[in-house]
Amino acid sequence: MSSRIPPLLEPYLALPPEASLVLLTSVLGASTNWLVLRFLHSAFVGSEASSDIRSEDESKVLLVSFMRDLAFWKENARRMGLDLDKLAAKKRFAFVDGLSGLFLPRQQKASSAKVASNILTNLVLQNVSHEIINVAKTLRDSEGGVQVLLVVDQLDLLLAAGGDAVGAVSVGEMLMGLREEVYSTIVSLSADLPLVSSHQTPLEADHAAFLLSTAHQADFTMNLRLLDSGTARDVSGVLRITIGDGTLEDNRDIRKRIEEKELLYFVGGDGGVKVFERGQ
Amino acid sequence: MSFRKRAVVVGQSGSNPSSLQSPTQNKTFPPGLRPSPLDGRLTISTGTHSLDSLLAGHVGLALGTSLLIEEHGTTDFAGYLARYFAAEGVVQGHQVHVLGMHEGWGRELPGLGTGEKSGGGREKANDEKMKIAWRYERLGEFGSARERGSPQSPGTSSSSSRAVFCHDFDLSKKLVLPSPSPMKFIPISTRPPFEFKDPDTSISPFTGFLNHLMTQLSASPDAVHRAVIPNLLSSALYPPESSRPEHALQFLHALRALLRKYPSQLVAMITLPVTLHPRTTGLTRWMELLSDGVLELSPFPSTALPAKSTPGAQTVHEEPPQGMLKIHHLPIFHEKGGGGGEASGFGDDLAFTLIRRKGLVIKPFSLPPVEGDTEAQQGGLEHEHGKATKVDIEF
Repeated sequence: MSSRIPPLLEPYLALPPEASLVLLTSVLGASTNWLVLRFLHSAFVGSEASSDIRSEDESKVLLVSFMRDLAFWKENARRMGLDLDKLAAKKRFAFVDGLSGLFLPRQQKASSAKVASNILTNLVLQNVSHEIINVAKTLRDSEGGVQVLLVVDQLDLLLAAGGDAVGAVSVGEMLMGLREEVYSTIVSLSADLPLVSSHQTPLEADHAAFLLSTAHQADFTMNLRLLDSGTARDVSGVLRITIGDGTLEDNRDIRKRIEEKELLYFVGGDGGVKVFERGQ
Repeated sequence: MSFRKRAVVVGQSGSNPSSLQSPTQNKTFPPGLRPSPLDGRLTISTGTHSLDSLLAGHVGLALGTSLLIEEHGTTDFAGYLARYFAAEGVVQGHQVHVLGMHEGWGRELPGLGTGEKSGGGREKANDEKMKIAWRYERLGEFGSARERGSPQSPGTSSSSSRAVFCHDFDLSKKLVLPSPSPMKFIPISTRPPFEFKDPDTSISPFTGFLNHLMTQLSASPDAVHRAVIPNLLSSALYPPESSRPEHALQFLHALRALLRKYPSQLVAMITLPVTLHPRTTGLTRWMELLSDGVLELSPFPSTALPAKSTPGAQTVHEEPPQGMLKIHHLPIFHEKGGGGGEASGFGDDLAFTLIRRKGLVIKPFSLPPVEGDTEAQQGGLEHEHGKATKVDIEF
């Protein structure tokens, strides 16, 4: 039914231009998971739908998730008709797990996952970025297209849980380093009010600094938030699309494709998403 | 919408989904587990009926998820929720791990209501219980939370309900623990007193928790484990360095990893004093983001209401609410994006009352009638009874 890409979002979800950065922000209660899944769907299925695209132009996706495990992404991708296992076997999808091993002491039992398990085990930023770049390179050099779309889910966790060793600048530099290795990048961050408005603690100050600097670099941002006027049965939240500074100035084709908008969205119990204008 | 249609069909066929599944539950599922009527994933009970029915239509806390309960002020309603959660686990034969507390906490669990002892006699006692009344009670909450005003036919559903999903507890009784106690207590690792060395802040005080959970989970892979963490980061219990973001958030992240790694074995309930760690701080917000469900309890400062005994309260036989409950995040429901769960109660004004026999009852908040406004009330009542006189209309 509505499990496909919502028509209003199609221009935004299409593969971003080269070297671009797309920022997704979430708040507690309005997560970006469905949006990330739509990006995956659009990257995998959108290119297949148009027949004139050669296999060299097939996009590949590297998903790095710091808050959710592969099982969650697989389950919800399956609802949209995406088989991540199969895509991984075709070397079009790779997953880096930032949840299971990051702070959990290592256990002897090695888990055998179908999708090659790249588990981050270390908080040192060099290791994290090294691991991600390695996976990105293998993905790019394998057969098929060379366009690797990097999707990083909740990169800000590193900042929050990293303590003194991890600062806003170093995470920003790491992100820059990652962007050099891939075709384009999508990053999701939290933008809750306590994390951006008060600068009392290093945690809050670092988060705000990182979020702001990423937002300024981004070609466009998609902010999810809850309804300002309370809750409604047929609306899950508000999606605000803002075009970044750089895109406003230079006249690239992305500028023609997208415009600033504020839309409402509703995620159904079956995982389908409806996106509509206010009043529709 | 599709869910609603299914539910109507089930209702017409004369039973609710949970009782449909209870025969299979007896055969296949370990005690205390029940598939969610929404998507079939296994859920456990939190030990509180009304809390179960709030959890986005799953009518229970899904295995592999965590619940963070925040409480304002100095009261300990959240502690009661945690105790009910632990007591339910003990009664169902689950492994209960109480992290950050000593054995004394476990001696204050509420006992089973309706004259039941604990332990071996509970199956029989449940059989002998007034099943019909029991089913009505369950149906009322379950049904009303999911679809209001739908015709229910509970008469036929009293047939097969042997395995009780959520027990009734009585606060005036103490739970008698079975002899090999299923509860394990892991106090927080503190430095020995009179040690004047500079504390090594690089060592997380939570390592003991994680090691214990990991060994227990791999030691008994078939059991259901409930982790209870009362008063996380309360400065009375936890050393100051535990509130450093790297320690607290790394622990919660690791707990989340464990929950995801053992999605059929582990559930967690955490209570957090938000007076000490206000919700406006980044640390608390990250703790919320790392939990699957977030509830906030705001008790009323002091209840002057019970002394008043308003006529309205007497007629309705309702205890006055003791505080407000806010839902900020629900397991699975919000992870998907939030929406489609009409039963969630998310965003509603909810009030809670702690009642000795019923436990914590959560229901939509409604203001009691104003005292001294009895005339208006009586007028209203007369209107309802169709006794409206001309005087009322003319005034």
